Amino acid sequence: MTGPEAELEGGLYQARQKIYPREISGRFQRWRTIAVWVLLGIYYALPWIRWGGRQAVLFDLPARKFHIFGLTLWPQDFYFLTWLLVIAALALFFFTALAGRLFCGYACPQTVWTETFLWMERLVEGNRSQQMKLAKAPWSPQKLLRKGTKQLLWIAFALWTGFTFVGYFTPITELAGKIVNFSTGPWETFWVLFYGGATYVNAGFMREQVCKYMCPYARFQSAMFDKDTLIITYDAQRGEPRGARKKGSDYKSRGLGDCIDCTMCVQVCPTGIDIRKGLQYECIACAACIDACDEVMDKVGYPRGLVRYDTQHGLEGVKKRVLRPRTLVYATLLAVLLGGFAVALSNRNIVAMDVIRDRNALYRERPDGLVENVYNVKILNKDDAAHEFRITAAGLPDLEIDYAGPTVLVGPGQVQSVPVRVRVPRGGISGGVDVLFGIETVDRPDLRAEGKARFLAPTG
Amino acid sequence: MTTPGEEYSGKLRWPRLMQDVAIVAWPSFLVASVATMVCFAFIDPLLIGHDDYPPPAFSTRMSGYAVGFFFFWLISALSSLLTLYLARTAHPEPPESGLDQHETRSFE
Repeated sequence: MTGPEAELEGGLYQARQKIYPREISGRFQRWRTIAVWVLLGIYYALPWIRWGGRQAVLFDLPARKFHIFGLTLWPQDFYFLTWLLVIAALALFFFTALAGRLFCGYACPQTVWTETFLWMERLVEGNRSQQMKLAKAPWSPQKLLRKGTKQLLWIAFALWTGFTFVGYFTPITELAGKIVNFSTGPWETFWVLFYGGATYVNAGFMREQVCKYMCPYARFQSAMFDKDTLIITYDAQRGEPRGARKKGSDYKSRGLGDCIDCTMCVQVCPTGIDIRKGLQYECIACAACIDACDEVMDKVGYPRGLVRYDTQHGLEGVKKRVLRPRTLVYATLLAVLLGGFAVALSNRNIVAMDVIRDRNALYRERPDGLVENVYNVKILNKDDAAHEFRITAAGLPDLEIDYAGPTVLVGPGQVQSVPVRVRVPRGGISGGVDVLFGIETVDRPDLRAEGKARFLAPTG
Repeated sequence: MTTPGEEYSGKLRWPRLMQDVAIVAWPSFLVASVATMVCFAFIDPLLIGHDDYPPPAFSTRMSGYAVGFFFFWLISALSSLLTLYLARTAHPEPPESGLDQHETRSFE
């Protein structure tokens, strides 16, 4: 590409022509707009919602705990996150098998943020042809004003995005205060700029190139496809041979198909492809071409659906199947994992313990004829309320336990280390034996945990 | 209805260099994100350091996470870069290699 736009976008893009998707309205675009508002609405609003006196969703990395509404997750609960990621991946497979690249077209952050950046571009620079004209025009104060305003809007929006992102990890009200006073910490500043910068570059400049060159899902999604997967298709049998014609003319007698070759489907495409060439990996299934074609078909008085959501079987006239082994397997796996996740989450241990033998001495023989081992019991209270804990030990004959008791107070979300001494009469045991430790809260006997350690005594 | 000739005449592809940068930087970014999550779920950055030398490696957890993330990104980017280099510089298999002919002959 030559001309002023290339200068503005820098040398990296010399060889690539910018895509100017034409604005389009229609039923699928309405869904996409709703998706943008809902998803970005959640993203930007969630950190501001408060729950029980603190931020409802806060991934408190400095304190190593995640708050998600009433739930507090600890590093020990990490497998829940892994589980959730597996569920997300499987859900992606399931929806891909069912309806193709739904995620790409409607929910992918890349698509969603690119859409908002396109809106801002249109707001300032006008529609597609106005944008193209502006790009070709020589630099003038007017052009500078438009391009500058667009950049300002983009940068402001990107910075807000970066700020919101950091607001998930640092209390957002505090962060806002710090930003107002220019007193953010170095890492907070860095991540705001990093995430904001990534948004700006990805949604403002790289756009469809991310899908084409950088996205792994775009490459392997076809593995989930079969002949019953919904894809965006051009009905070539009905449309070809394409060609211009006068409105109301008997085009069929001239051997023409329904496609009037208006190229609207190409103009609205955010990846700049021609859907009439068949399914292409660049297609993110945003359905803009369906809306565009439907509008044209309405205008010329032909039936809608020349470009439509259909399956390969549908195009071939074979019966469509939604229930088929592939979707059933994905759905079953998904249901099992989701159910397991819910059960595991509701049965999650709210208290946990860890017991470590004191490494300084194997055992101590006391003058009163008892053999003593020293342990360090760590009590973890993952609840949002403080609890009084009792520590028990069992598994040895005539055992006595000694710690700074009778109960140990552990605050909400706290870890308390308690030195515990266990004694047995000399000669009662010889060598090493397992001793079973337990903790339980005084107020809620169901909150309990157990741990095992070795008790060592002189042999013989 | 529409002005004809508004389709794209220029290239819609990125230049090769941009593609290379993208396919090295992006997958390694994704992998580094996952690696950072897994690593720091198990390791508290404040506990990284020398047992005997009191100043720990990181003064705050946030700096530990950040340094960890960029460390993982660098490592995985290096791996991506090597893979890309090897893939790009591999000599293409000649259309009729000697081995194939030999094998074919032995089956005759």
